[in-house]
Amino acid sequence: MLSAFDANWSLMTPEIVLLCLALLIFTIDFMTGIKGSKPFLGRLSIISLLITAILVVLTNNVSGNIAQVFIVDKFAMIFKLIILVGVAFVITISMHYLEKNSDVYQGEFYSLLLFATLGAMIMVSSADLITLFVGLELLSISSYCLAGFKKRNKKSTEAAIKYVILGGVASAFILYGMSFLYGLTGTTGILEIGRDLGALYDQYPFIIMMSLLFMLVGFGFKISIVPFHMWAPDVYEGSPTPVTAFLSVVSKLAAFGLVLRMFIIAFGSIFDEWSFLLAIFAALTMIIGNFIALTQKNVKRLMAYSGIAQAGYLVVPLATTLTPDITMSIIAFYGIAYVMMTLGAFAVITLVTESAGKEDISSFNGLYYRSPFMAIAMTVFLVSLAGLPITAGFFGKVYIFIGAVTGGMIWLAVIMIATSIVSFFYYFGIIKQMYMNEPNENDEVLNPPLSLSVMVTVAVTVTLFLGFFPGLVTKYFNSFHWFF
Amino acid sequence: MVPVELFLALGAILFCIGLYGVLTRRHLVIVLVCIELMLNSVNINLIAFSSIGPFANITGQVFTLFVITLAAAEAAVGLAILIALYRNRESIDAIKQDLLRW
Repeated sequence: MLSAFDANWSLMTPEIVLLCLALLIFTIDFMTGIKGSKPFLGRLSIISLLITAILVVLTNNVSGNIAQVFIVDKFAMIFKLIILVGVAFVITISMHYLEKNSDVYQGEFYSLLLFATLGAMIMVSSADLITLFVGLELLSISSYCLAGFKKRNKKSTEAAIKYVILGGVASAFILYGMSFLYGLTGTTGILEIGRDLGALYDQYPFIIMMSLLFMLVGFGFKISIVPFHMWAPDVYEGSPTPVTAFLSVVSKLAAFGLVLRMFIIAFGSIFDEWSFLLAIFAALTMIIGNFIALTQKNVKRLMAYSGIAQAGYLVVPLATTLTPDITMSIIAFYGIAYVMMTLGAFAVITLVTESAGKEDISSFNGLYYRSPFMAIAMTVFLVSLAGLPITAGFFGKVYIFIGAVTGGMIWLAVIMIATSIVSFFYYFGIIKQMYMNEPNENDEVLNPPLSLSVMVTVAVTVTLFLGFFPGLVTKYFNSFHWFF
Repeated sequence: MVPVELFLALGAILFCIGLYGVLTRRHLVIVLVCIELMLNSVNINLIAFSSIGPFANITGQVFTLFVITLAAAEAAVGLAILIALYRNRESIDAIKQDLLRW
């Protein structure tokens, strides 16, 4: 066992720097008064995230660990980069949102987002149940505050209280599962648990299965898979739109990182016991998410159900008998595509709903005549979410499909294709409204701010680039081992 | 010496009471208290394993300290949101929070 002084603390540089910058932004925020809009804090946050991303690339491209508690490998590096880019996009969206909602108290928004990012980074890098839980709670508690950020808005506070209560129950489930895992192995290190679990399973199959199920309930809540998804539409609808974007992308992907590390490393030796269970959850998630999305009229609720369905696609590779490296390349490719298309779509949604003052799908009527660029960008994002060719989402789904077929889960692949076809109806409903319908009365020409236009352009470019040249990224992803 | 199973049974009973409370009580403060009950059942498990479990060591007690701290942080945020909710709705009855549905 390494002592704390011998450990290679430089591996934690990005996290420490991000913590310092987040505290700095927090301090600047309360030094500059309570009222007024603070766009400079947003710019500073984006710069902090860029610095952290550069540090991640520089320091995390080696494998190493700090006393088997904090682990750095390719998996952590790629997930951290995805998370950081995602949060930078979310902050761009929130700068526009906070400008439009100047009555909302603006302080702390950015620092809370950065603390949540820090939690997400710790989560994907942790190799110990305690570290993992601390990272998870840092992300969750910051998210609870963010969900209730419009504190005079009835829907926002209701969303926050629902999120706190259900999130607390999910945390308790995760912890209850973890306590048995600790009791049986006598350690909280994920690597050691993974090593001992296969032999222990023969001795105590019932307790280990119970612990796994408890953790699956909690993690399933965090990544919002059916049947633990009912919080997601409520919280997504009530929260401020940038927070919805954050929850549906960054929070979900970070929780996914956690699930992947727990299930592949810690529970990898008893794969046969849980893979079928996950396959059933994935199938249910895809079916229920896509079918309920058909009935939605509120665009944020629609995106919530669409996000649930996407989580189902992401679970599919985990349930197949592929090697961890291939599973990870498939999931990371879809993860990048998901960040780009979902956050791009949320940027356009924020622009449209803030201009219309309501969140009904009808506010998309005639978007093409109000802002052709945004309408075309939204079309690309929705086509990618639906999984049609020459977009990133198409190849992401193709890889998942091929993975499911070669991994021996043909029925799951069939369900995936069938539910994707169902999803065309609601995605194309929005596209049809943007081009075919006349704009509503009182709707003026949209003037997106420059930062938002740049962000949407980047998202469209990456979505199309991955659609034209998916091989470049997959070649890189297949060239190394993901796990330490 | 009390066997570890009794402590685990106590933990399981507390967890179930907590879960039952979260699912059935309408007063949101009680619901938050029930979540604390669930988290404390975890603490009992961890302490039991840490002192008389098959692999007794100090890690469980460290874990418990983290759980207590984070439970306190979560309760603080939960109560703050509860106050904001009460100011908006003049009620903290769980049944009446029904703006967001289906």
